[in-house]
Order: sequence, then C-alpha cells, then structure tokens
Amino acid sequence: MKILVTVKEVATVEDEFEIEGTGIADQYLGADLNEWDDYAIEEAVQLQEAGVADEVVTVTIGPEECEQTIRQALAKGADRAVRIWDDSLEDVDLLDVGAKTEILSAVVEEEDPDLVLTGVQAGDDSFGATGVSVAEHLGYQWGAVVNHLEHDFDDAASVRRELEGGVEELTEIELPAVLTIQTGINEPRYASLRGIRQAQRKELDVKALADLGVDESAVDAELELTDMYEPESESDVTTWEGSAEETAGELAELLRDKGVAQ
Amino acid sequence: MEFGLSEEQEQIRDEVARFAENEIVPHAEEYDTEEKFPHDIVDEAAEMGLVGASIPIEYGGAGYSTLESAIIAEELFSYDPGIALSILACSFGTEAIREFGNEDQKERFLEPVARGEKISGAAISEPDTGSDVSSVSTRAEKDGDEWVINGNKMWITNGTVGDFFVMLCKTDPDAEGRYDGFSQIVVEADRDGFTSEKITGKLGIRASDTAELILDDVRIPEENLIGDQGAAFLQQMQFFDATRTGVAAQGVGIAKGALRAALDYAQDREQFGKSISEFQAIQHKLADMATKTEAARNLTYKAAWNVDQGNDITKGASMAKEYASRIAVDVANEAVQIHGGSGYVNDFPVERFYRDSKITQIYEGTSEIQKNVIARELLDKGF
Ligand SMILES: Cc1cc2nc3c(=O)[nH]c(=O)nc-3n(C[C@H](O)[C@H](O)[C@H](O)COP(=O)(O)OP(=O)(O)OC[C@H]3O[C@@H](n4cnc5c(N)ncnc54)[C@H](O)[C@@H]3O)c2cc1C
Repeated sequence: MKILVTVKEVATVEDEFEIEGTGIADQYLGADLNEWDDYAIEEAVQLQEAGVADEVVTVTIGPEECEQTIRQALAKGADRAVRIWDDSLEDVDLLDVGAKTEILSAVVEEEDPDLVLTGVQAGDDSFGATGVSVAEHLGYQWGAVVNHLEHDFDDAASVRRELEGGVEELTEIELPAVLTIQTGINEPRYASLRGIRQAQRKELDVKALADLGVDESAVDAELELTDMYEPESESDVTTWEGSAEETAGELAELLRDKGVAQ
Repeated sequence: MEFGLSEEQEQIRDEVARFAENEIVPHAEEYDTEEKFPHDIVDEAAEMGLVGASIPIEYGGAGYSTLESAIIAEELFSYDPGIALSILACSFGTEAIREFGNEDQKERFLEPVARGEKISGAAISEPDTGSDVSSVSTRAEKDGDEWVINGNKMWITNGTVGDFFVMLCKTDPDAEGRYDGFSQIVVEADRDGFTSEKITGKLGIRASDTAELILDDVRIPEENLIGDQGAAFLQQMQFFDATRTGVAAQGVGIAKGALRAALDYAQDREQFGKSISEFQAIQHKLADMATKTEAARNLTYKAAWNVDQGNDITKGASMAKEYASRIAVDVANEAVQIHGGSGYVNDFPVERFYRDSKITQIYEGTSEIQKNVIARELLDKGF
C-alpha cells in the first residue's frame, strides 16, 4: 500500500505581535511544520512499521526555503518527498483551497496512492477544507477529523471521526480515500539523529505546475485578503463559592446556557 | 572559509531543542532538587539516538563528528546542564573502545550503549589522583587469564547507574617512565567485589550521578583489556582534544541558556515605570554576555572542526575549554544579577545555571591545567 501525506510549512507567530497592512510584521513570524501534519506523518510511518504500507511519500506546495522543514518528515521515516513550486506561485498572497485542490489532485493522480493523509487544517490560514476538497475533486472516499485509525486493513479503513458536540463516529471508508488527521491521534516521535542523517540522502523531487499538467490559471485566487485586525474580545468570569458537590450543577447549567455543552 | 552550519546540522540543533523544551525543561527542577538520575528522560533520549550520537553507524549510533556532538551538547546544556550531562555521559569512556577495542569488544560494549540498554563510564580519578593522572594507584594484577583489580576511584560520573567503566589501572608498577605501565580495562558493575557509593550534596549538575567506586579483588577476564597493555596514556591522550572540546561546548550551552533566560526576564520585569531592559546598565550586561558567548562558540566550533580534520590542536582545545567554562560562570553570574532576588531562588532556571556552570572549570582538566597546557605549547612551539 502506498500513502501520500500532504505537508505544509506554516507561519508561526509570537505571543505579542504587530499587524502591518494585511499581514503580521515579519519580525514576529517564524516557520514550522504544520502541527496536524506531524500527526499525519506519524500515522503513516506507524502504518509502514506495522507492515500495512510499503511506501510513504510526502507532498508540499512551497518555495525552496521550506525544504528544511519538509525534511523533518523524511527524518521521521517518510521515504521520499515531492515539492511543488512555480514562478506563477511567487506573488500569490493567499493560495486558496481551489488552487491547492487542483495542484494536489494532480500529484495524487500522478502518484496514485491508496491512501492520502492530510492534516485537518493548517495552523496559519486554517481553511480546514483542502483534504476533503481534494477527495471530492478526485472522486475518492473521505473521512474528516479522524482521531483513530485501525492499523490492519486491506480495501477499507476503519476510522473513528470527531463530530460536533463531543460525538464520535466509527465508520469504514473504502480505499482509495483521503483522511484528514486530527491532533492527538498518536504521539508524534522526535526525528532520530540517524533519521536526520539518512534524510539528507532521500529523494526530494521539485516539480513545476507544467510538469503536473496544471494550468497557471489554476492559481488565480478567487479569494482576496482585505483586512487584518485583532478582534475585540470580551471576558467575563463567574465564580461559585462552596464544595464541588454544591456547585457542579450550577456550572453545568451555565455551560448549557452558553451552548458549550448539550 | 566556511562559517555557517549545514542544513543537516541546523536540523539536528532544532530537533534537540524541541526535545529539550518538551521533555527536559518541565522536569529540570525536580531532578535537581531530589538529586535523582533521570532514567525516564534518558530512555526517551536514547530512542532519539542522543546517547550514542558519536558511536559509529555500524554499531547502532549516528556516527556524528566532534562538531555535531558539540552542537548537540551546546543545545542540551542550554536547557538544563544536569539532565544534559546525564544523557550525554551515558557513553563516557566508549571513545577508547571505539578507537582501540577489537570487534568483539565493540559489539559487546558499543552496541548496547547506542541502543540505550547500557550506561558506561570513565574511571580515572582517585581520592589521591586528580590533576596528576600519572599518580593512579588502582592496581590490576594478572592471575592466569584474569585481571585482579584493587583500588578506589573517586568522582566517577554514572558511578551508581553505570553498567561498565573503562578504568585506568596500573598494570606494571616497575615501568620506567611516569606515563608507562598503565592500561585501560573494562570493569563491569556486576562483578564480585565491585561496590559504588553515591556522592550527594553536589553544588550543581545534581541530576547527574557521581560516585566513588571501591574495587576489592575484582576479577575481570583478560579479554576486557582495551588496546595494548601499558599503553593507556598514549591511547587516552588521543581523545583529550575531543573531550575538552566537548566540555567547551557544555560551557557555551550554559552561557547560551543563561543569556536566553536573562533576555526574557529583562524584557518582562519593570521598575521605575519601565522595562529594566531599557536601563543601559542592563543593556551593557546583555551585550557583554552575548559577545562572550559568541566568542566562546567560535573557539569551540573551530576546535571541533580541527579535531574532525585530524589536526593536532592541543592548544586550541585547551583554549576553548578554559575560555568557554570561564564565560559560562561569568554569564550565569550576570544572568542571576539581572534577575535580582528572583535569580536567587529556583523559580527561574538561572539559579541552576549559576550552580551548574562551575563544574565546567573543574572536570576534564581544571582551568589551571588548561592554562599550563596552553603555556607549554606556546613556550615549546611558539605560535
Ligand atoms: C561532578 C564531577 C564529576 C566527575 N566525573 C569524573 C569522571 O567521570 N571520571 C573521572 O575520572 N573523574 C571525574 N571527575 C574528577 C575530575 O576530573 C577531577 O576533580 C579534576 O580532574 C580535578 O582533580 P582534583 O579534584 O583531584 O583536584 P586537584 O588536582 O587536587 O586540584 C586542586 C586545585 O589545584 C590546582 N592544581 C593542581 N595541579 C596543578 C598544577 N600543576 N598547576 C596549577 N594548579 C594545579 C587545580 O587546578 C585545582 O585548582 C569528576 C569530578 C566532579 C566534581
């Protein structure tokens, strides 16, 4: 079985920062592997260790500077990586879900994996839609917000999904499929020193849109970022005096009132 | 001339930092206070390959060079020196086996250390033998196909948690020269007649285990002799450059960690209506701390690079070790000063850095011995 994992280098931001135009000032920004993708990689590597998968390939859309981040996945056990970049992507401010779907779908068609794992969302732009959108585009089955995956399957995957309001669903999903992976599904490992060394020699293939047969017009965004501001936040505190037995009921009532619990 | 780190080296540093922030920092105070060896953290570090980083790949390590080992030591020590030493010292003494051991010894001793199943140690110092290593009196006498060992070893890192020790013993008391007649023998902790006693009450690096070893007619098979009989000093001398560079990297790490903590605190703490980092007196301290740390780092990386090139750098390694350990103490001291009263208690890591820094001026040859070495090289060989 072959697994394709989509990975992304995301922007990270310090606790205190300043907004500049429609972005955050550079000096407050860092970069790291998207947290959800770290769990997706771990799940894929565990499937490989369990003998279910025999190849794990990662794919990213990003400039050369993100290679160091992408190699983290290779150091943790992925076999090879594909990086998509193109001159036409250079000045795109916000790559929208439609564009990502076209590009990633082309990679999926070329690689022809049995299983595609994505993160539920990216920590920076947080669309939370790419995985499912790719599945729809390709006519693959999909399962979103997967927080458990059985490690023995052939033509279907047994998954547990998080639904709203604390409800979970157990379901079988036929392959080929896209699963969007939720944090907490496993405990991502640290890249081992040997792994880091070996990752330097693993294949990292760079492709342009034309190599994938994707037209440049695919990256023309339908979305435009018009403003960036900190939302006004209100805070409100309720305190109860008394023992847990006396006050737990009141807390439950409040949570129900606020719509947090059902 | 190339001054940057490679992408791989940066990746090592970042992953070690991630490990330290998540697995070490939350527990550092506890292990220090309780003077407890961090077995759980060491096990996790072993999984990541941190304990046998310099053991060759064919014996299960990562095969990293002196420079990469220095980067790892610097990063780990910048988060907590006591736990960092507990992790990195798990392979103490194995350099001799790596270089002079036979195939059987490498398999028996290197592989389990690389896998994190066994902990090693290096036993040289004795109650009456510190800076003057040639006064070692622990005696190994041949009896049939065994060595019978008697003596005391003092200040031995991993003394009560180690599985075996590469021990410097006198094997030929009648040898002529001051440095002749000594051999390196691997002594396993489970041999009859071997006991160890933990030394408590240390000023710093309190998570690291230190003990006295007592050897009372301990019988060791002759195949545990490393390299040639009588050649211990010649063998040991080959590693001074690497091990001293390693302690230099520890010093750089302590300075880096103390500076990081001081920078954070200086920007947070307000007095007289402003952040204390706006006072020039504090700014100058921070500037000096950063400059010293960078200078020590450059000396250390250069020494490490030279070791990896196979160059003779006795003087350079001693300079790096002496300077980096000195500025570690300096920078940690200033970091406490910047914290004021908060730096005097263990709510902040600088109190620990201040106590931990001192050891780097003592072990692997004291500062005085390093200066002796530097001066000897200068006077014998000139620049
Ligand atoms: C926490 C800890 C861990 C250790 N781990 C190990 C270990 O794993 N294995 C091991 O073998 N040892 C270990 N040691 C021992 C360490 O290497 C020695 O303490 C060190 O070499 C100094 O020896 P000493 O303590 O006998 O001091 P001494 O040699 O007695 O020195 C006392 C003072 O005299 C000075 N001095 C001595 N000779 C000269 C000279 N010729 N010129 C000028 N000044 C001089 C010294 O610099 C020092 O200031 C450890 C020590 C500690 C504290």
